[in-house]
Amino acid sequence: MKGKEVSNRRLGGPPKILTFVALLFVTGTVLRAADSSVGVQLDTRKTGPRVVESQTEQAILRDYRLAWASMAKALEFNTVDPLQGPFVGTARERLIGTVASQRRTGLSSHYGAQTHKLVAVFYAPEGDVMELHDTAEFQLQVMDGGKVVHEEHTIRHYIVLMTPGADRWIIRQLQAVPQF
Amino acid sequence: MSWLTSTVLASPNVRRHWLGRIVIVMCLGQLCLAQELKVPASVTAGDETTISTTGSGKAIFYLSGPGVSSKTEISLGQDVHLRPGDLRNAGDYLAIVCSISCRSTAFYVKAGKPAYLTFLVHPSRVPVVQPDAVSGVVFPFDEFHNLVLETAIVSFRLSAGNLPVLSRSVRVQDGVAWLRTTSGKSAGKLQVVATLDSLSATRTVQQVASDPCNLRIKGQRTPKIVAVETEPVRDCSGNPVPDGTIVTFSVSGDGGKSTVDSPIKQGIARAQIQAPGSLVISAASGAVMGNELHVGAQP
Repeated sequence: MKGKEVSNRRLGGPPKILTFVALLFVTGTVLRAADSSVGVQLDTRKTGPRVVESQTEQAILRDYRLAWASMAKALEFNTVDPLQGPFVGTARERLIGTVASQRRTGLSSHYGAQTHKLVAVFYAPEGDVMELHDTAEFQLQVMDGGKVVHEEHTIRHYIVLMTPGADRWIIRQLQAVPQF
Repeated sequence: MSWLTSTVLASPNVRRHWLGRIVIVMCLGQLCLAQELKVPASVTAGDETTISTTGSGKAIFYLSGPGVSSKTEISLGQDVHLRPGDLRNAGDYLAIVCSISCRSTAFYVKAGKPAYLTFLVHPSRVPVVQPDAVSGVVFPFDEFHNLVLETAIVSFRLSAGNLPVLSRSVRVQDGVAWLRTTSGKSAGKLQVVATLDSLSATRTVQQVASDPCNLRIKGQRTPKIVAVETEPVRDCSGNPVPDGTIVTFSVSGDGGKSTVDSPIKQGIARAQIQAPGSLVISAASGAVMGNELHVGAQP
């Protein structure tokens, strides 16, 4: 497998303190906007054995979108707070692990221009777990401090296990696969 | 021409500034051109592996994947050794090497062999002979909690006491195998076992009697009251209906109509009715009606 090349780039711009102040100012807005920048479609036509009701479908769309927006926020700003609601179990542990190791190494990851085509392939008879296949397309940027070390527009496949919580659907497993 | 040089030459304002750097880059030609990464075609979670590099000189190696983000200094031309703990989580990984420019390669880590089963069984308590009332869902995971997606067969076995109730083999598809079946005929514990190779998981469902069937009452007048009781209340499979189930006795007579609710105790529901005249008493529980009992007036 041959690698792809990305030149090193230093991000030019204002002094660090200005960047910090600007970041504080815009973070809320940007992160709220990040939610809407995640496009999610859901196909439940072949889901079984339980039929997905339309309200469940809407909840999945809402919560999956929020989960990816939260994940993008966590991995870009290396903070675990956004992971507390939308993720649980293995999915959350791994993301927390990623954030912790990114903090140690000074890396961060930016997931931009996300679109997700979800297909619900299994909905348990009692409605307590749903398996989805996500064909995700996004712009991925890996940064070492201010330096871009990897950048690509990529299409990835994820197997997702979601379970219903008290007021939302939560991701328990988020596992990339080469194909479906 | 690399992205770096083409970008630089496209911008006249910075051309002079970058010319010096281009010269340096060209002088370090071997370093710029020879930096390649070769990753293994397939890696299993928890395995150690090696990523080979070409070129010479120092570089930074980054590994980015699920739960992992590392950065180490390496010498180009030497192999990068990844320990078993580096690749425990199945998914997409990025290997990146940066010297003057960066090169990256993606590779995939697949789940290992199943190490345990997540087994969801519903409900925990179910009436007997209910169609499609018991369901079981199995997800196989490897020792690092990766969902195992490879094809396998899960055997479901249901038994009540020592008696087999059902046995069925189901293929794991997309990492899940499931079953739905009718509950058994006798009240008591229903063992539900899922087996995949040498792994198994057991859950227990409590089967309880279904609704009463053939409700029958009897009674007699004493000097002060009419004592009425049911025969032992059973469901249609012959299981005693649980204590606490309500039986409603309806009484109609000269004084009008009235009802008495009575819980089943040790299989029988009882009521005492004070009415001197002749009475017609009936009983019902859920959707089931019992016989009518005619009691004469007090002598």
